[in-house]
Amino acid sequence: MVEFGQHIINMLILGSTYALLGIGLTLIFGIMRIVNFAHGELYAFGAYFVYLAAMMLGINFFIALLLAIVAGCLMGALIEVTLLRPMRNADIDTTMLVMIGAMIIMQNTEQFIWGGVGKSVNTPFPQAPLQVGPFFLSWLSLFVFFAALGLIGATYLLINRTKLGKAMRATFQDRDTASLMGVNVQAIYMATFAIGSALAAAAGALLGAVYVITPQMGNLAALKSFAIVILGGLGSIGGATIGGFILALAEEMGAGYVSSGYRDAMGFLIIIAVLLFRPTGLFARKERIG
Amino acid sequence: MLDISDLVCRYGKVEAVKGISLSVKEGQFVVLIGANGAGKSTTLRSISGVLPPASGRMMFEGEDITRCSARDILARGIAHCPEGRRVFPAMTVDENLDMGAYLRADRGEIESDRERIFTMFPRLAERRAQVAGTLSGGEQQMLAISRAIMAKPKLIMFDEPSLGLAPNIVEQVFEIIEDIRKSGTTVLMVEQNAYSALQMCDYAYLIEAGNIVLSGTGDDLIDNEHIRKAYLGG
Repeated sequence: MVEFGQHIINMLILGSTYALLGIGLTLIFGIMRIVNFAHGELYAFGAYFVYLAAMMLGINFFIALLLAIVAGCLMGALIEVTLLRPMRNADIDTTMLVMIGAMIIMQNTEQFIWGGVGKSVNTPFPQAPLQVGPFFLSWLSLFVFFAALGLIGATYLLINRTKLGKAMRATFQDRDTASLMGVNVQAIYMATFAIGSALAAAAGALLGAVYVITPQMGNLAALKSFAIVILGGLGSIGGATIGGFILALAEEMGAGYVSSGYRDAMGFLIIIAVLLFRPTGLFARKERIG
Repeated sequence: MLDISDLVCRYGKVEAVKGISLSVKEGQFVVLIGANGAGKSTTLRSISGVLPPASGRMMFEGEDITRCSARDILARGIAHCPEGRRVFPAMTVDENLDMGAYLRADRGEIESDRERIFTMFPRLAERRAQVAGTLSGGEQQMLAISRAIMAKPKLIMFDEPSLGLAPNIVEQVFEIIEDIRKSGTTVLMVEQNAYSALQMCDYAYLIEAGNIVLSGTGDDLIDNEHIRKAYLGG
């Protein structure tokens, strides 16, 4: 029972960051119809940025996290303007290839700058775990969980309560009519890609402090983001949030009770099952975000 | 108010509008009639900036708007109530109205306009927190019209407002459009329901295969032999 509880706790922590990744990707696909293969590289970018700021420049860890999110946002805007804007009328496969190219460039740049050896970030949190009843929690994981939850909540409010969010939803539902309402669709695309990228960078910045940072960390993150989005249904923020937790649950339980060697395979088994039995995702309502 | 000359629009290589000229005077109710695919909707889409014209010139209140963005054209005072209603299906009635007022910053007036719309359409008031996709076709059309009004336009363009609606609802929609016109807003309407449209309007244009082939007052066109045969069923 204690072991089970510990898995649930681990699942919540992992799931919160998976949800961030998934929400970022689902926003970008939902609004822009872009299959963003570079999503995992923005995750790695966030992690390396924290390493640069906190470990090399000696900036406070929490400020480094915030800077990483801002940097992810700017990086996303830059990618949108330079790579995606000229491809606006290209078909979905063409932009997908462009994003695969962007992924390769980004990953090799990381390798070039940082080398292949893993980097780790020291945090101001105490090493000794926090004991709650029979369960052990690390202070850092607890912080990651609440920070991720805060970001998910902020994204939800942004989409549902602000004018920008309303314009994003309108663009998602009917692009031409949104532009008839005076929405600057180009600006919405840039904002969407920037926000989605910022969320990926945030997930990387948070998990980078938990795990080791390597140039390849984006690969699995990208695959898992796709898994989450497929689970939750494309374009659904609520679905991506729950999808993130389900993937984490499958990984934790699979690793705990089946075989730890197959941890990363569990998620993909679920995807195969979902695609076979419910191809629109577990929670897809037709054409809706928010 | 609105003057269009030699407008040509293309979808890829297909020329849908082949050089039409028309004008709408302030306070007028102008109608474009014609068969399916004649280029009526394309003309409206071009005026509202969604489909940039291939060539030609569009002037609004003395200024050239030919190359303006959709946002800019709306800001100048032309609203477009598109064909097939096109409400945002997953947004509530209130949010749809918010989108109509997207470019406005006068919060107080937006709210009083919203209240005015709700007194005009009590059905929408009842359903203000409901998502638009769950409304009936007639309610959606009311919402689409209201959304266009929320932009506080000088000229409002309706594209097939009667499309797919029950006859009694169609009558209601036409009454609303006449009210809008009486309130001082200029109206440009595309309509397949030629007889009603011609009865309501001050001036009408007939479009066939991307060209304007006839124009005149509504009564003139109702009496026209060609129109009687081809559009009014004898």
